[in-house]
Amino acid sequence: MSDLDFDRDFEEGRGRRGRFQRFTRGKVKAEPTQPIDYKNIEFLSGYVSAQGKIVSRKRSGFSGQNQRKLAIAIKRARFLGLMPFVGRS
Amino acid sequence: MNKTYECMVLVSNQEVRKGWQACKQSIVDLFGKHKAGVVSARRWDERRLAYPIKGQQRATYLLVYFQCDHLVPAAIRRELDFHDSVLRHMIFQCEEVPAEAHEPEVAFDEARVGEDGTPSTPAPAPAAAEPATEPEPATEPEASAEAPEAAEETKPAEATEEEQNQ
Repeated sequence: MSDLDFDRDFEEGRGRRGRFQRFTRGKVKAEPTQPIDYKNIEFLSGYVSAQGKIVSRKRSGFSGQNQRKLAIAIKRARFLGLMPFVGRS
Repeated sequence: MNKTYECMVLVSNQEVRKGWQACKQSIVDLFGKHKAGVVSARRWDERRLAYPIKGQQRATYLLVYFQCDHLVPAAIRRELDFHDSVLRHMIFQCEEVPAEAHEPEVAFDEARVGEDGTPSTPAPAPAAAEPATEPEPATEPEASAEAPEAAEETKPAEATEEEQNQ
């Protein structure tokens, strides 16, 4: 690959970094302020969207272990009629 | 080997109004029938359901902690499935029994348990201007959000230059 080719590719956005590569930010970790329990509805309600979907780790900031606990707790609460499957109570 | 289990039972309010103690005892007896040691059985709450279950809008929650062999919960599930006053139930293993479970049950008026569609305690009026309780995103907002504003600011200057050229 000649220097001329490299310059042309760089100008057209096909450089070494790739055209669609994005800058990734460091993850911000968060710890649950209250125990993750299916009976703790007020706490769990903060981690569902307006549609009732469980928020992602990106939004919650939880570790993998706590995110799994959160998902299980929300699903238990839904089954027992404490939280809605769709929407917000 | 005995393990500790937690069981949450949704009891129909119609049965609760007939007599809470009798209703509770009939459910607790199921656990004893299968030789499960009941550590604690207390009324957790009476509340409006997020969605109707078996046509009921409200229900009373009974929380039971018990210890038994790993084969027993399946038998208890079958019994609870056919119980008339049980709307829904869930059994799962827990690490330990919390201290709250040993507290005495709070007394309540059985006859005035909230009927379907008419909550016993009026719910507080929702605040319209209240901000959403959704947690803030863990990541910082991207700097690209400011870019459109900067682009708009530069547009009028370019437009004036074009007018001058014409």
